[in-house]
Formats: sequence, structure tokens, C-alpha cells
Amino acid sequence: MNRKEKNLLALCSVAALTAAAAPVANAMHIMEGMLPPAYCIMWGVLCIPFIAAGFMKINRTLAENRKLVVILAMAGAYAFILSALKIPSVTGSCSHMTGTGLCAILFGPCVTAIIGTIVLLFQAILLAHGGLTTLGANIFSMAIAGPLLSWLIYKLLKKAPVPRYVSVFLAAALGDLFTYCVTSFELSLAYPAAEGGFAASMTEFLSIFAVTQIPLAVIEGLITVVVIMGLESFAAGDLINLGFMAKKEVSHE
Amino acid sequence: MNTMNISPCSHRHTDSHMHSHKAPHDRSHRHKPGHSHRHKPGHSHDSLSIDQLAFQSGLSHVNPGFKVAFSVLALIFLLAADNLAISLLVFASMCYLTVIKGGVSGHSYISLLAIPLLFAVVTVLTIALDFSLSPAGEYHLHLFFFYVYTSRAALWKAFCLFCKVFSAVSCMYFMSLSTPVNEIICVLQQCRLPSLITELMNMIYRFIFILLEVQQKMSISARSRLGYVDARTSLRTFGSIGSNLFIVSMKRANHYYDALLARCYDGQLNFLSEEKPLSRKTVLYAVLYFAALIILLTVLKIYYH
Repeated sequence: MNRKEKNLLALCSVAALTAAAAPVANAMHIMEGMLPPAYCIMWGVLCIPFIAAGFMKINRTLAENRKLVVILAMAGAYAFILSALKIPSVTGSCSHMTGTGLCAILFGPCVTAIIGTIVLLFQAILLAHGGLTTLGANIFSMAIAGPLLSWLIYKLLKKAPVPRYVSVFLAAALGDLFTYCVTSFELSLAYPAAEGGFAASMTEFLSIFAVTQIPLAVIEGLITVVVIMGLESFAAGDLINLGFMAKKEVSHE
Repeated sequence: MNTMNISPCSHRHTDSHMHSHKAPHDRSHRHKPGHSHRHKPGHSHDSLSIDQLAFQSGLSHVNPGFKVAFSVLALIFLLAADNLAISLLVFASMCYLTVIKGGVSGHSYISLLAIPLLFAVVTVLTIALDFSLSPAGEYHLHLFFFYVYTSRAALWKAFCLFCKVFSAVSCMYFMSLSTPVNEIICVLQQCRLPSLITELMNMIYRFIFILLEVQQKMSISARSRLGYVDARTSLRTFGSIGSNLFIVSMKRANHYYDALLARCYDGQLNFLSEEKPLSRKTVLYAVLYFAALIILLTVLKIYYH
């Protein structure tokens, strides 16, 4: 092979990888059967404290307000629909939102852990995104780690002199990126490279999935901002009930 | 106003509200008989074709707890065994059960299997191939400044993993294509999952179809107003539909809560589930199946070591 041919081949393989990685953007679920049993159990066990905390939180709030259960169920269905919709005209035709960033901003990380768990189970059963044995790993990356970061960023930036839309964008986009980092971490922990071990395979997973995940994170951030803008203009009352907006913020608008 | 899709149990209206476990779609779309997602599977909304197929399954008379336990046990066995022959055998048997016994058409089964195909290929390739700055492994390819390399052993391992993943997916499909979600939730309830969780699951499952219908209407009307002409507009449309959908969902949540209260909701949703007795023959077959798998695994272990 001469130099030109090699470069051509390299270009082709990069293009092929990109094309192949596009449908992978199923919001980064680890599929059924991908993880060895020990890792399935480990990630599952790691999720338990978060889910228990969410469960207790919901139970406590429910004692005060029964209506919350219906609202939460709607929020779960909403997150499911949002994650089942294909984002139009992005990299591949099959890119989805995680929707959990929005959920975390609106409802907090504890509630998102519970809702996210149920939504992930439904995604596995109804959409074949993710799986039953990998549920623990997927819950950890998509319903716990990502939303937790989104919520932290949003809370931190709320105090800083940053416009709300910027903080919403950053929270959603960085939460999405973090989800993908955690998923790469989970995969490379289970399958370290022959040479270079965990670190090598981590960089490999990160760089291959980055092709679709970075643009997707930006898009997720933008869409979340549009959603929040819509909510602020049409559903201020609901947002106040959820504790997302203070009353005075509405009055001067 | 259609607010009948949640049926809390109260003793008085047993017969009119309590058979919802059979077909939640009929109930949630009662005002619109023959709604599109009942017929034409895979066309109206592709994404939920699994749900439609589960209701039409030929195995729907089998005890749901048994089906869930069978597929989960097979899944665990498969992952624990980590053996190519076992993977292939389980894959073949699950395909047989789903397509021949369950009556899922081969075409839709294959298109369902294709959903995870690309993801599996990319992940497995990432595991099989390694990158380095110097030539290594049995096969390598020089690209720009680095080498992509792999070895025969790594490729074989990746192939085994690929087969294992697909056989695991076929186990999951056996469950989800033969057992409707509400029956799975019932099974979870029997496993002593807290009622708060199962209640949330039941509601989320029902609400999904309601929101999906609303979303479809919104996107049709957006399309008719050139909402998807270019990338920029479509992103904006997508976001606006997202926020509208949230507003609609919160409004409906209020209505449904009122409807629940009107039916004496006290924090407990009770459904009448159909009794599906477990036949002895089915259990015997399952026991024989697992016995055969275990014997095969031991024989293979003895033979190869």
C-alpha cells in the first residue's frame, strides 16, 4: 500500500466508524449481556443507596401531598417519551435524548433516581434499549451520575450571576457528557485492553463514542433550554409548585 | 373528557373498571375505537412495536411469573456459563420459543434483533481492537501516527461476546414479546416490590400511551406548518413540542388525580389480574431444558480441560 492508499483507507475507516457509531447514540445504554455477572451485581448494589434515598424522599413527600404520585408518573412517562423520540436531523437517524437532565433540574436527583429506574426498565422491555442484567450499570450512569451532576451544576450556577438559560444548558449538556463518561468507565472496567489495561480501553471508548456524544450533549442542552423557555412562558404556575421558580421571578416578567 | 384509564379499585364498580389488565390500550383510547397502534404493528409508531407484539403473543396463556422466571434464569445461566455453545443453544431455543411458539413473525423478530445490532458491533469491535503507537499484536494496521492492532485470541473472545450478547437479547425478547408490561408489573408485585414503585410503574405505563398520542398530533401539526424544514427549525420544533408536552402532561396529571379521588383513591391501585394457572407439563419442559443445559456445560468443561 502506498501512502495515498493508506490515507484513503484511514479516511474510509474513520467514516465507517462514525457512521456505525451514529446509531449507537441510543443515549449510551449498555446492552443486555454485555457485562459479566460480577459487574452486573456490583453496579446494581451501588445503585441501592440512591434508590433507597429517592424512595424515602418520595414516601415522605407523598404523606404530605398524595397528588405527587400522579405528577411523578406523568414526569416518568414524559421522560420516557422524550427519550424514545428521535432527534430530527442529527448525526444518525436514531439519536435520542436522555431527558434525565431535565427531570433532575425540575424534580431533583433523588426523585430522578426512582423515575429513571422505572423508565430504564421500560426502555429495556419496550424499546430494547439497555437490558435487564445491565440495568444496574445503566441506572448508575443515566439515572444517578448524570442527573446528580446536572442538578449540582444547576444549583451552583443558580447562585452565580449567570443567566438561567446558560445554567440550564450547562447542566443538561454536562450531565449528558458525564453519563457517557460513566458508561465508558463501566465498559472499560469490564473489558480492559490487552495492553495498557483499563486506561487504554477507557480512552478508546471515550474517543469512539465522543464522535456522537459531544454533538448530542450540545443538542440535548439546547433542547432542554427550549423546553424550559416554553415552560416559563406557559406553565409558570406548575414551575412554582415544583420549586423551580420563585414567585417574584414571575411577577416582574 | 377521557379520564378513565386509571381504575382504582373500589368495591362498588368492580365489573366496569377492573378488567383493565387485559388491554390497557383499549381503555386509554376508549373514545377512539381502533386507534392506530392496535393494528399495523411497526407502522404507526415503530418504537413500541414490542408492546403490540406482546399482546398478540401465542404464549399469552402461560403463567407470566413462569415466563419471567424462565427468561431471567436463562439469562443468568448464560452469563455465568460464558460458553459459546451454551450461548448459541440458548439463542436458538429462544428464537424457537418466540417465533414458532409465540407466533411473532420472522420479519418483525429480525428487525427487532437489528435494533441492538450496530451497538453490539461497535462495542465488540472497540473491545477487540486496540490502539498503540508501536506495532503490536498479530494483525495491525498503520493509520496516520498510530496502529490499530488485534490478535486471534482477542478476535475469538470478541466473537464469543457478540454471540453471548445476542443470546442474552433473545432471552430478554422472549420475556418482553410474550408478557405484556402490566403482567410483568404484577409479577414484580408478587416479588414484594414496594407498592409505591409498582403503582408508579402502572401509571407510567398507561401515561406513556396518552402522551405518545398527544406528541404524534403535535408533530403532525408542526410538520404541516413546515416545522421541520431545516435543522435549526426542527430543533426548535422538537424543543417546543417537548415543552408543550410537559404542560399537557401536568394538566392531565391534575385531571387524573381528580378522577382517582372521585373513585375513592386512597393510595392503592388494585387491578384484577387474569388467573393463568401453571401447567405441570410446562414446568417439566423448563426443568428438562435447564438440566440439558447444565449437562451440556459440564460435558464441555470436562472435555476441554
